[in-house]
Amino acid sequence: MKAKLLSLAAFALVAGASAKNIELLNVSYDPTRGLYSEFNKAFAAHWLAQTGDTVTIKQSHGGSGKQARAVIDGLQADVVTLALAGDVDALHDVAKLIPADWQKRLPHDSSPYTSTIVFLVRAGNPKGIKDWDDLVRPGVSVITPNPKTSGGAQWNYLAAWEFARRKLGGDAAAKDFVRALYKNVPVLDSGARGSTTTFAQRGIGDVFISWENEAFFALKEFGADKFAIVVPSLSILAQPTVTVVDKVVRKKGTAAVAQAYLEYLYSEEGQDIAGRNFYRPAVSATAQAKYAASFPQVELFTIDAAFGGWTKAKQVHFSEGGTFDQIYAP
Amino acid sequence: MRNSSFRKLAPALTVLAVLAPAAPPLGAAEDRALTLLRDQIRALEQKLLVLERKQEIKDEAAAAAPAPKVTVNDKGVTLASADGANSLRVRGLVQLDARLFFDDDASIVNNAFVLRRARIISEGTFARRYSFQLVTEFGGGAVSILDANLGVALGQGLQFKLGKFKSPLGHEQLQSDAWTFFNERSLVTGLVPNRDLGVQASGDLADGRLNYAVGVFGGVPDGASTNNSDFDNEKDVVGRVQVSPFRNTAGSPLQGLTLGLAGSIGRQKTASGRTAGYRTDGQQTFFAYAATTVADGASWRISPQLDYRRGSLGLLGEYVLSAVNLRPSATGPKTELQHRAWQLAAGYVLTGEDSSYNGVVPATNFDPAQGTWGAFEVAARYASLEIDDAVFPQYASAANNANEASAVGVGLNWYLSKAVVFKFDYYQTRFGFNAASPAVSSAPVLRQDEKSFITRFQLTF
Repeated sequence: MKAKLLSLAAFALVAGASAKNIELLNVSYDPTRGLYSEFNKAFAAHWLAQTGDTVTIKQSHGGSGKQARAVIDGLQADVVTLALAGDVDALHDVAKLIPADWQKRLPHDSSPYTSTIVFLVRAGNPKGIKDWDDLVRPGVSVITPNPKTSGGAQWNYLAAWEFARRKLGGDAAAKDFVRALYKNVPVLDSGARGSTTTFAQRGIGDVFISWENEAFFALKEFGADKFAIVVPSLSILAQPTVTVVDKVVRKKGTAAVAQAYLEYLYSEEGQDIAGRNFYRPAVSATAQAKYAASFPQVELFTIDAAFGGWTKAKQVHFSEGGTFDQIYAP
Repeated sequence: MRNSSFRKLAPALTVLAVLAPAAPPLGAAEDRALTLLRDQIRALEQKLLVLERKQEIKDEAAAAAPAPKVTVNDKGVTLASADGANSLRVRGLVQLDARLFFDDDASIVNNAFVLRRARIISEGTFARRYSFQLVTEFGGGAVSILDANLGVALGQGLQFKLGKFKSPLGHEQLQSDAWTFFNERSLVTGLVPNRDLGVQASGDLADGRLNYAVGVFGGVPDGASTNNSDFDNEKDVVGRVQVSPFRNTAGSPLQGLTLGLAGSIGRQKTASGRTAGYRTDGQQTFFAYAATTVADGASWRISPQLDYRRGSLGLLGEYVLSAVNLRPSATGPKTELQHRAWQLAAGYVLTGEDSSYNGVVPATNFDPAQGTWGAFEVAARYASLEIDDAVFPQYASAANNANEASAVGVGLNWYLSKAVVFKFDYYQTRFGFNAASPAVSSAPVLRQDEKSFITRFQLTF
């Protein structure tokens, strides 16, 4: 018995001595602060229980495009969890930090949760906003971030474009529609969280084109009596995407834990946390059922179907001299 | 600023609020006017808020604007502009070798400490597109400009390089001096050009699966570098194509496979032979042309190449056929000579890190206090170089030259960190001789197998 106890003590000593302290950096976009604050705690507990190692996850948030640029410029992100695949693509296209087929490495095109675009209006909806057409009416002040720096803003822009293309017929009409919409935008923040501040805290604008999760966040944070969510007749299926940054994890030796971190987003607990933070769980039927009532029913189109994927959409609309540059004059 | 602006407006709004209840009942016209006034105040308030918010965003952006960056790490000292478009970097490489030879002729004095390389490397990028590299070599007994070139990047698929740099032919030759499996490159490198003056186009195509480099160079002999001038009229065209067909296929066992084909073609008309001499792994000369030999005519090389990396395993193989037209003297008859060499080398990182053409990155640095030991890599290599038999006796003496060298090497590399490495190599080279050679070579280094133990301390950043 004594020998057994000694063995156990020795094992515990060895195990304790070999337990590691690991630090990960998750570079994400603006509205995911709450989601990852909660998820990081859950994953750290899971990893400790599974391996005995302590993992600390640092978060960095900002406009999705700006965050991708920072990683390209050397920010040592173990993982990126950005607003759109197009921003993650840049990590391969510009800096070869990840392989070209990164999106095939995790289920559901590396998109563990989805969202969409809705309108947040002031209590009582004083301007009577019901759909995208209302955003181009004279006298309606619209808040949306800058699509040059914000992934969320690109979803907004493309959702408006597709609505107009279907309703008015053709890209030319859509371009005029989006031009009129941006004429009603008094301030362009660099990210979605900044726009939330502009609309909810600074009291600017009549309607905020918002991530669905950000709209719910505003209701929770600033009071459901102050704002209301309006669901347009058509919106876009927003697929935030995640990947390990291969070059960084190889250098830091964190590949295994970074991979496990992202895979845990697909676990039941990860999916539940996503739902709790107003993101639509992508793979767990349990979480989908649990949170189904929270999310309004809306006709959604995909970026691939409407715009031929992110590479093409970015090239046409958001590149230097693209349609956004053509229609928007500050 | 926002609050102060409100403070300015507050008295006027307060007066309105106080006066309103005291006023007599309003008629419809007054009511409309008041509503209009309220709307105007609301509009003004929105305008004010927008202006304030814009200023706030501007202030936040200014505060968050990235400052120029100074980075000191195992890649050197880098100064970079905030947007990353412009940068200057200073790097260094120091290699101190200890060479020990066993069982060799008593007349040979070759055990030595050697400052093999001592370099200061300056690099920079301007406007993202334009770059330069200047490498000064202080090792090896003389100070020289090793590389001096300018680059223009038109995109991933097309980049130009002009100046002095490595000719795009030998696979191991093109690898950084710091990251080869062994301290010394194999016998194969003796048959390929080193640094030359020229202009090159290169790029990655097909999403990185195809890499090409082709250029026009002054043309240098086997294993040689230019002395910074090229006054003859003859030039070499040198090029290489590499394909990595499974590079982007995650999980494929062939993801790290690269196949290449390189070659050169040109004419040489020089006052000396094709090379100053071919050397062993221990850097002793085992073959040199007679002093009267001159190059005159076509020269060409061809080299199929292989590189494979999978996890900790790395393989590198190449074959070179080098042909040159020589005359035994300025007026002698011309002969085309063909020399051949090949090598197969393998490395395995015992501590689990990935093998890489660009060096092993230890998962942890050597730190006895933390109980970490860096990374350990073992390596093995076989290489052979065969001189054309027709070289004897007109172009070289069979009495003091070998016509074949075959070398086996084993090595252990200890990466204390990415920047600091100890390397321990043992090489054994066997020589072959032409039929006309005497039983005992006149050259003392050729009278026995060369057995050398070369250790290296390397600092690179």
